[in-house]
Amino acid sequence: MMTQDLNLLSNDAFRARWRDWLEQNYPAEWRIPIIRRLAGDEERRWHRMTYEAGWRAPAWPKQYGGLGLSLEKQLILNEEMERHRCARVLDSGGVLLAPVLMKYGTDAQRSRYLPAILRGEDLWCQGYSEPNAGSDLASLRTSAVRDGEAFLVNGQKIWTTLAGCADRIFVLVRTNKEVKKQAGISFLLADMDTPGLTVRPILNLADEDELCEIFFENVRIPAENLVGALDQGWTVAKALLGDERISNGAPTLPRQAFEVLEQLIETRGLAEDAGVTDRAASLFCDVHDLAALHSQVADAAIRGEVDNAVLGMMKVLATEAFQNISEEILNVIDEDAGLQTPTIGAESPLDLRKIYMIARPSTIYAGASEVQRNIVSNALMGKS
Amino acid sequence: MGWRTDDELQQMLRDSAIAFLGDAGGPGHFRAVRASETGFDADTWRRMAELGWTGMLLPEKLGGAELGLSAALPLAEELGRALAPEPFVASAIMAGTLLARGAGPVAAALATGLAQGHQSVTLAWQERRGGVGIPAFGTRLAAGRLQGAKVHVPAWHPGSALLVAAQGDDGPVVVAVDPSASGVTLVVARATDGTLTADVVFDDVRVTADAVIVEGDAARVALEHAIARGTVALSAQLEGLAKALWHETLAYMQQRVQFGGALSEFQALRHRMVDLYSQIELAAASWRKAAHCVEEGKLWGPAVPAAKARCSQAAQEMGRWAIQYHGAFGYTDEADVGLYVHCALRWSSWLGGASAHRRAALMAHRGGKGA
Repeated sequence: MMTQDLNLLSNDAFRARWRDWLEQNYPAEWRIPIIRRLAGDEERRWHRMTYEAGWRAPAWPKQYGGLGLSLEKQLILNEEMERHRCARVLDSGGVLLAPVLMKYGTDAQRSRYLPAILRGEDLWCQGYSEPNAGSDLASLRTSAVRDGEAFLVNGQKIWTTLAGCADRIFVLVRTNKEVKKQAGISFLLADMDTPGLTVRPILNLADEDELCEIFFENVRIPAENLVGALDQGWTVAKALLGDERISNGAPTLPRQAFEVLEQLIETRGLAEDAGVTDRAASLFCDVHDLAALHSQVADAAIRGEVDNAVLGMMKVLATEAFQNISEEILNVIDEDAGLQTPTIGAESPLDLRKIYMIARPSTIYAGASEVQRNIVSNALMGKS
Repeated sequence: MGWRTDDELQQMLRDSAIAFLGDAGGPGHFRAVRASETGFDADTWRRMAELGWTGMLLPEKLGGAELGLSAALPLAEELGRALAPEPFVASAIMAGTLLARGAGPVAAALATGLAQGHQSVTLAWQERRGGVGIPAFGTRLAAGRLQGAKVHVPAWHPGSALLVAAQGDDGPVVVAVDPSASGVTLVVARATDGTLTADVVFDDVRVTADAVIVEGDAARVALEHAIARGTVALSAQLEGLAKALWHETLAYMQQRVQFGGALSEFQALRHRMVDLYSQIELAAASWRKAAHCVEEGKLWGPAVPAAKARCSQAAQEMGRWAIQYHGAFGYTDEADVGLYVHCALRWSSWLGGASAHRRAALMAHRGGKGA
């Protein structure tokens, strides 16, 4: 374990140390940007190795075993991972649940769950969406009824990412049907092997089965697993740490996809084609300006000035740019776009159809573009 | 403001610009200048000089404020917001950059006149219409005689002083030329922002040695900086214009009631307004990044062309939807929206349009990767 306070290092020294560590320790087989996401044992291994080397949980306060890094240094970590072409990591436990437990959990909950998240022993999944509660999440219907020392849970969750390899789930349930929909929701924790809880993977358009349905049939969840007060789950779920919302608008995926596009334009001899050049120029400017905006918004956030409207805008801009670039990737490979597994060539295993497909849901998850536009328009134009 | 921040000096200049332009700028002023014969309001220019704007980049010993580009840009943004037709970019920024690097009594006299607002100065450098970047000059200065032609000389008016970029015996050269001198022919056209532009032919025009402002490698560098700074400042003006038009359009949408509700309540229109605002945010971030690069001497990366492309595009798109959301009223000359649209046409096409700059940005990116 590294004992030195990383916050005391200059940004350059900090960056160099992290870069060195990645170069010496990051598994080569994971270095497939865009399409690779660590799952299950790979994700456990990543958390374990960063934990042991003193890099785990950069945004967590030190009292919980995190690094307590400044936002500026957290962003440096992300930049270097992009530069090293690292795979994506979800870390639902460390990123989504931990802030909730820190703010609303009991001491017993924190000491039981946080260390296992740090060490990569527990992977968590997020049970929020339901078949009839997507963008309108607050209308969720999975019910939890108090029964002695437990809640009896019945209902269904869907689009739960990586539920199949998760050890535990944090789940939003309806505990009160008599009040305004946001006011009757509670936040519960459950083990995935609880009797009555079953997981069914869903095959998606990128040939992955990471998204799952989860069925709850008379699942007994101990009452001590309630986080925050009863019926306060909607407020509880909003706790976030550090750079999370800024990361949703980061130019990482569009920038990586644009590199793929440029490589294809070169290898396919299209650099002189006027139409291809015009489209590439437009996409390049989209990525360039998004990066300029993102870095200036991050600077403002580091100073403590957070502009909510622009965060929603950046999420829309980044994901739509990613989609536009992925479409142009298929456009420049022409008839090969119809192949099941079109790749760039022997030197790169990137499956181009998969890039295109992975870009599809980015405008749906983490707040669909239409919902983001509603929220931003309320901020800019007053509520309608 | 949100994420956008000014330093103390920038904030001070911006505040003074907002206060001054509240009376001296805006649609009424734009209409007056557009209706004038010269397309130039000497009185407003003189008052801008009193505020220190025209001599912003000039040395203190010549009456200037000796500030950098970053101080000038909040002014450019506010001038754009106020639709100001004054030649701030053409004269204070572009000609100012050359005069600040110039030597000799003629350069000093022009600089002092500019700082005091007695005159505006304009630079004739283009030899073809449109495009991006500095061409090899066909206009030649040899043995004290100037021969050639320039197009699209901005901010022309009878009282403006003229600088001309030409090819000399030892590289590029910038000279001051008296527009009334023998051998100078001007063809003047009205631009859509109400100002005049001129195409100028020089036929064996006599240029004395003291009229040389800067020459050789120094002239090349000075021209590169003048055009890069002008491009960034014009980008900031365009973004300011687009932002003002966005707010103007929202104000109209909030009071225009159809089908029982204000236009600003309809979701399809609200989403479009969010997208337009997003483009303006990108534009604001892009010119700020470009300004940073230019101040660090990095003129040739993608930042400057990307900024001009984004700001031009944002202003033109905003103009299109501003007319649409004002309905038929937006198509009248009486509505101010048309003034913004006309102004945006001029500013977005001057110093290179959006698509040429997008290509330039991509080429700079591709070129930079190998270096």
